[in-house]
Amino acid sequence: MVMKQDKTDSRSTTKKRVFLEYVLEAVLAISLVLAFTTVVLLIAGAPPLQSYVHIFMGSLGSWIRFTHVIKAWIPLVLCSCGLLYTFRIGLWNIGVEGQVVMGAIFTTALMRMGTGTGYPSLVLLLSCLAGMTGGALWALGAGYLRTKGGVHEIFAGLGLNFVAQGMVLWLIFGPWKRAGIASMSGTETFERSLWLPTIETLRISPAGIGIALGALLITAWMLRYTNVGLRLKAVGNNAQAAYLFGLRPGKYMLIAMILAGSFAGLAGSMQVTGVYHRLIPAISSNYGYLSLLVVMLANFNVWITPLVALFFACLNVGSIQLPMVLQLDSSLSGVMQGTMVLAALAVHFIRSRLRAAYTGGT
Amino acid sequence: MISQGARHVVLELQDIHRYFGTVQANRGIDLTVKPGRIHGILGENGAGKSTLMKILAGYLPMTRGRILLDGTEVRYASPNEASSLGIGMLYQDPMDFPMLSVIENFMIGQVSGVASAGETYRRKFSELVQEFDFTLRPDTPVHLLTIGERQQLEILRLLSIGARVLILDEPTTGISTTQKEILFSALKKLAAEGRSVILVSHKLEDVDALCDTVTVLQDGRVSGAMDQPFDSTTLLSMMFGAPPESSRHIHRPTSQTILRLDNVSAAGGRTGLSGCSIQVRRGEVVGLAGLEGSGQGVLLRVAAGLLRPRKGTIHLDNHNMTHQGYHAYRKAGAAFLPASRLEEGLIRGLTITEHCALQQQGRSFLVDWHEAHAGARKKIAGFQVMGSPGSVVESLSGGNQQRLLLAFLPERPRLLLLENPTRGLDLESVHWVWNHLDAYCEQGTSIVFSSSELDEILLAADRVLVFFEGRIIKDVLASRTNVMELGRALAGRV
Amino acid sequence: MRKGSLISFVTGVFLLAVACIVPGSVQGSDKPFVFGLLLVGPYNDHGYSQAHYEGGEYVQKKVPGTRMIYIDKVNPADRPGVTIVQLVDDMVEKGAQLIIANSDDMKDGIREAALQHPKIHFVHISGDDVLTGKAPGNLVNVFGRMEYGKMMAGFAAAMTTQTGKIGYLGPLINEETRRLVSSAYLGARYAWETVLKKDPKDLTFQVTWIGFWFNIPGVTADPTQVSHNFFNSGYDVVISGIDTTEALVVARQKVREGRKAWAIPYDYIGAGAGAPEVFLGVPYFNWGPSYVDLVNKSRAGTWKPAWIWLGPDWKDINNPDTSTIGFKKGDALSETAARALDAFIADLGSGTVQLFKGPLYYQDGSVFLKDGEIATDKQIWYMEQLLQGVLGQSSAR
Repeated sequence: MVMKQDKTDSRSTTKKRVFLEYVLEAVLAISLVLAFTTVVLLIAGAPPLQSYVHIFMGSLGSWIRFTHVIKAWIPLVLCSCGLLYTFRIGLWNIGVEGQVVMGAIFTTALMRMGTGTGYPSLVLLLSCLAGMTGGALWALGAGYLRTKGGVHEIFAGLGLNFVAQGMVLWLIFGPWKRAGIASMSGTETFERSLWLPTIETLRISPAGIGIALGALLITAWMLRYTNVGLRLKAVGNNAQAAYLFGLRPGKYMLIAMILAGSFAGLAGSMQVTGVYHRLIPAISSNYGYLSLLVVMLANFNVWITPLVALFFACLNVGSIQLPMVLQLDSSLSGVMQGTMVLAALAVHFIRSRLRAAYTGGT
Repeated sequence: MISQGARHVVLELQDIHRYFGTVQANRGIDLTVKPGRIHGILGENGAGKSTLMKILAGYLPMTRGRILLDGTEVRYASPNEASSLGIGMLYQDPMDFPMLSVIENFMIGQVSGVASAGETYRRKFSELVQEFDFTLRPDTPVHLLTIGERQQLEILRLLSIGARVLILDEPTTGISTTQKEILFSALKKLAAEGRSVILVSHKLEDVDALCDTVTVLQDGRVSGAMDQPFDSTTLLSMMFGAPPESSRHIHRPTSQTILRLDNVSAAGGRTGLSGCSIQVRRGEVVGLAGLEGSGQGVLLRVAAGLLRPRKGTIHLDNHNMTHQGYHAYRKAGAAFLPASRLEEGLIRGLTITEHCALQQQGRSFLVDWHEAHAGARKKIAGFQVMGSPGSVVESLSGGNQQRLLLAFLPERPRLLLLENPTRGLDLESVHWVWNHLDAYCEQGTSIVFSSSELDEILLAADRVLVFFEGRIIKDVLASRTNVMELGRALAGRV
Repeated sequence: MRKGSLISFVTGVFLLAVACIVPGSVQGSDKPFVFGLLLVGPYNDHGYSQAHYEGGEYVQKKVPGTRMIYIDKVNPADRPGVTIVQLVDDMVEKGAQLIIANSDDMKDGIREAALQHPKIHFVHISGDDVLTGKAPGNLVNVFGRMEYGKMMAGFAAAMTTQTGKIGYLGPLINEETRRLVSSAYLGARYAWETVLKKDPKDLTFQVTWIGFWFNIPGVTADPTQVSHNFFNSGYDVVISGIDTTEALVVARQKVREGRKAWAIPYDYIGAGAGAPEVFLGVPYFNWGPSYVDLVNKSRAGTWKPAWIWLGPDWKDINNPDTSTIGFKKGDALSETAARALDAFIADLGSGTVQLFKGPLYYQDGSVFLKDGEIATDKQIWYMEQLLQGVLGQSSAR
């Protein structure tokens, strides 16, 4: 009686359902972001439609503008890839910001050592590896505080963000200052050979794009086909049960943090080698925090992530048009990012409500 | 005094359908619940009882169908709206706020506006408690209540917000006999006042003791109905087609000691565990009886290495394991099966195949999906799980989840530690589970299990340990005792 | 598939928006000359950036057929992720033919942008790329001889102080700020010793650096706090070297508490507005005339790489059409001090008073100018340390 065979292929139905959910949620997320932003624009007295057009044209209106979008997209994608691992295991790696900064510091350190050695490619490669190491170490710090010290990763991460930011300021104002100068405007610019190679006619860096796409592919592959990916998910969904299955949740939390930190650190390397060509106080451009939003709005899906990242990169680049063309107060883009957080949280909430409605026993 | 408006209401469900994807949980159910009656809903796990009740209580939208109150169609989309129509559900796991006190939980959902109404609620609360002979005290924090007391609280809360139709889903699971009696008399009183009570259960004795009428579900449809007096054989055949047989299990323990606890004390649960000494022999089945949370769970977890003892020593196969962790116990051949399947045992969001892949425990970097899929198929077939390799575990019914958990037990363990292994299962599944576990004993595995059903313990175990307030107060061979004796021990009278 | 739907949704929304309205006003056939302004601070900061912004407005007023586009708060703290190159690209797409970057901070970015847009003319205010030879042919450096303005500020401060303690609210340390602090000190010392005939030992001149041109919370020292510290430790005049007006605000607060306090803001002619009781005056930039000149050169095709250092029009340093550097006297400056200041300005203009004249020593005692030696522009521009007599850091430790 009880052994009725399941004749329907419930796998394909699940897939179909999941697909519908994703479409629904993606539409919902973007609409909410747009709705919230529109409200903010209206409050600020800006014409919303015109603003959107300016943002759109300002980001995708020409190839040159698009190259700037790509420049913001690369670190966003890298950070987001890293966060996919930590979200997978249920960690709120808010320390990603500090991991970017640490990556930038380690990269700069190596670039300083490598200046004038005559092996620019090698120095660049080692700098990126150093950046990954820096980010990973910083993430490991938060991971250890969480697994061994019982400090929640949000607090550990925020604390380490402050420390990393403090280190940047100290380095720029102290040991790495420009000769005779004490300014917060950054360290001396690196020689041109140490800039991330760029195709001048196209104004894009194939290496940067390659690294971002590579990160996406590796992340997708890691999460889908490797034991690490599976176990991250298992621990994230139910640490207690995973423990009973013989896994050590603490170990996988550290692995997730190391992976996340490495990608975030690499984003820091890109900021130093590809964008600013020096270390500045705001080296992270807040891309760490922004990527938390990206991943949440992408519903923690590795293939939707680059698209949402592109959306945010466009917004970042395009919103400069608002003060420039519409003379809107420039603090508006900050307010807009704040509303994104609200939208992301709202989507998160609605999503869990949807899930609750779908699941439930027979 | 309690509710506003008429208490008498006729509830009709017409042609209720509910699909989850292509899974048809309810396929055209008609049901009429009359006021003043206790209406039983019987059915094995997966028959569609819970879905139907969740629809009725507003937790789930239905795919198709109509709900009528006194002949008028009503529509609602949330538990709140349902309760404003007078329909309230007492859920299997009471959903309250564990850190708040009883009275605070009671007030939640009713207090609107001014906060000064506290005294009024306190008075209302104590009136209700007296009326039903409940054992609740207003200032106890909810997390200290027993499951039975939590149910009492839920019932009071539903009544105070004017429930006219009360739905109870498996209310007797995990509560003591005394509490069961209190519950039943309260329900009878409510019915006598003209309310309708719907009781979902798979226990014939509950239905027999309480219900005026019974509707049996099978495979998403109504398979039969019956009024008092009930005939068990007919009901069982409506549920399963044929009545399951039960017989006493025989094992042949050897003299070799597998697990030895000497004077072990540990913290945890309601009472902890104090000064416990036991020996479990190879091939022996030991049943742990006791009121919920009297130390059985702590003992199982200590023996699995999940809790560290505060005092005493633990030996597994004559190795001192006292200071080892779970992973060492696991390596030594001890396997633990938790009672809460989706909380501790299985991983929500992961498919059966993914669980199999997790179990591979390979050192390899890549997952062998092919092997995992094959493993899933094998387990599904071997353990008669209703689901496919790609089903996420939370989509399975309780019984199937349990079968799956059993499927993930190691093949040749030395010691199985099972916490309420048949909780919430239908009789057929219980029977199946024990057949499966007996096979383990055949190959020399020892089993220690806890259960709230004395009948089950007497049927399955060779030896019974009775727990009371964290101590073992009785250690007796199953063949030399009976339900009456064990029941007295449960209450602390040896 | 779900990727596709997301893309098409996003694009759809944007395209819908595009279809709904035609952006902006279509340019007439009479194409105006567009010049772009990159401002490091807010365009209305009552300081450095506002002075530039008003210079741009002056051009629009005086030269028909010109149009300004600008973007303010161009610094990584206010606009994370936005780079100079990106902004220049954008301005060029908007038709800008001349782009003026107003901050020292933009040095590297504007050089990179100039290399990328060889046909566009670039001005880097305060930079020295042309002097050092790093500048491409389309980049010009312009700056004002604020040294004179700072001398006047120092002079007014010394004429006013009752405690003999003058504070200088410094931004970051570089060549520019070193020479400005030194100039202010020279002006103060001249007033103290030569006009007031007081003992040089009784004059204290202290500089405290915050780390940037304006307050960036968490990054720089807080200029409000620094100003408070000055007034609380016996300093009664604070000369501001930063782009914003914290010194003035704090001084006013102190006066309301019944203390004696004065302040000299910086950069912008209107910086003293609203605080007459503490406002001694302001040395300011008047960019209008030089901007007009640059725009005319760019339009006429007579653009040449140059390093331009513009001083006051000594005939009338406050002439808005001719003088790049001015000093506006404030209400709190006493009658006597104002008269002395006028005489001092006249002497500076005539060359009677020459403050960068040896013997002058650096902080560490080494010689800056030998006895009787008059500093060249380059010597002033590239001062290595603060002058002896100034308390505070000469360079980063």
